[in-house]
Amino acid sequence: MTDSTSYPRRDWPRLFLSLPPQQIKEAVRTLTESCRVDDQALPQSGLALLQLRDGALAEPYYIGETPLSRAQVTIIDKNGKKGAGAAQILDDRASLARDIAILDAMLANRLNGHQIIEHLLEEGAHQLARNEASRRVILDRTRVDFALLDATAEDNEI
Amino acid sequence: MGYVAIKGGGIAIKGSLEALEALRAAEGEQGVPLSLSAIENQLRLLTSRIVSEGGLYHPRLAALAIKQMQGDTLEAAFALRACRSTKPRLLATPVQETSRMRVIRRISSAFKDIPGGQMLGPTYDYALRLMRIDLSDEAPEVFRTIAAKFMGETPAGNLPETFPKVVDALRNEGLLPQAPARAIEPFDITREPLIFPIPRSAILASMARAETGSLLALAYSNMRGYGDVHPTIAELRVGYLPVFLPHPITGEEIEAGEVLITECEVVAMYENSDNKSKPVFTLGYGACFGHNETKAISMAILDRALQKGMKEGPANPSEDPEFVVLHIDGVDSMGFANHYKMPHYVTFQSDMDRLRTTQAKAESKQGNEK
Repeated sequence: MTDSTSYPRRDWPRLFLSLPPQQIKEAVRTLTESCRVDDQALPQSGLALLQLRDGALAEPYYIGETPLSRAQVTIIDKNGKKGAGAAQILDDRASLARDIAILDAMLANRLNGHQIIEHLLEEGAHQLARNEASRRVILDRTRVDFALLDATAEDNEI
Repeated sequence: MGYVAIKGGGIAIKGSLEALEALRAAEGEQGVPLSLSAIENQLRLLTSRIVSEGGLYHPRLAALAIKQMQGDTLEAAFALRACRSTKPRLLATPVQETSRMRVIRRISSAFKDIPGGQMLGPTYDYALRLMRIDLSDEAPEVFRTIAAKFMGETPAGNLPETFPKVVDALRNEGLLPQAPARAIEPFDITREPLIFPIPRSAILASMARAETGSLLALAYSNMRGYGDVHPTIAELRVGYLPVFLPHPITGEEIEAGEVLITECEVVAMYENSDNKSKPVFTLGYGACFGHNETKAISMAILDRALQKGMKEGPANPSEDPEFVVLHIDGVDSMGFANHYKMPHYVTFQSDMDRLRTTQAKAESKQGNEK
């Protein structure tokens, strides 16, 4: 069993988002069967204006927009324990943001069923590791091995 | 002259839309509809272009726009912008630092030994521009093994995800001016009209969603001699930028997702200092959604040219903010060009009337001279 503290809260949405949304939806459906979930605000879907800092003069500017969904909930589990959670994700599915907000609330407050969510985090971490590994392979395979002309090794030739 | 009131064309318009749809499906029984996933992955550079020119990082919607507009990049970007205009703006993010980018490609033409090393990543730079005939009849079973084979041949090493920026190293060596982070409210080109002079943040935002070819053409004019940037690429990087937002309850910084971007800094000639401080190189900056290196480089060159134009006055078109910013938007310029297809019956009749009057006067004058 992975303790939820193995993954900082800042990474939870990223880990959940690496899993198929259907898997998240199913998990939330099962977990909330015996809970009461109240939306603190209507789940919303819209846009976020993405602000970057330029690399020349360090001035902020807007590069464009991204989809954004957000949700905020409170949950009372079957033992009467209450907790709040929220999510903001770069995705246009408000229902997915709500699902992640529910998981956030249950995990952060260690509500009934949080162990199942820790398994989800674990699965997400494995998936993320696979994604990262594939990017790392690109870097590894294309790393330039500079050498002086007279010292060029044969194994750097195609 | 009065209006030429006309009506009609509704049936023809309906028919033209049906004809478009028929040509999209003209393969008939042999045809297979394009999946959005296929467009997003197999035409990833085209998708990149649309997310950037549409100003909305939504690769799946961009793929849909490409499919719907049958590959017309201008129309696809237009559709994406139209779609974004129907959605509410929920927030503007805090400033995101591109030094956090999870890199898949980084090169420098200024130094070979950049901190962290150079990684070519996926690029056509060294590919032969010869037609690969084998792709014309690609076996699906072979196609499906290519990526796995590539990934499987090399165990993932321990290279980091992020790398220090080359310009930071140049700054540390005193070759570039220091650039302390400034807290300026950026200009939002989607909400505010462009009334010149405009701030640099408006120029950067306009160029970030500009049409690639337009940006390239103006930057190329500077490269060829109508300007004097003479750029060297300090760093060109492609990668996934994590976007951090505050948690709505705790305020803690949370990763909300990531965005593929291309970023470029070019070093230009150094400037002689007026105030006896040490001369340093100058920089131009370009960035856009997706993987589009031509656009990022062009933008960086134009940024540097425009910095000069704003400081000293423009000596060339590429140094004039008004000229550049008002001529690089694909949706704007495409709309203007295509509006000429709309009926101009009234204005053209007026032109004809004036011509006939002038012709009559000329004939009358010639008759009098005889």
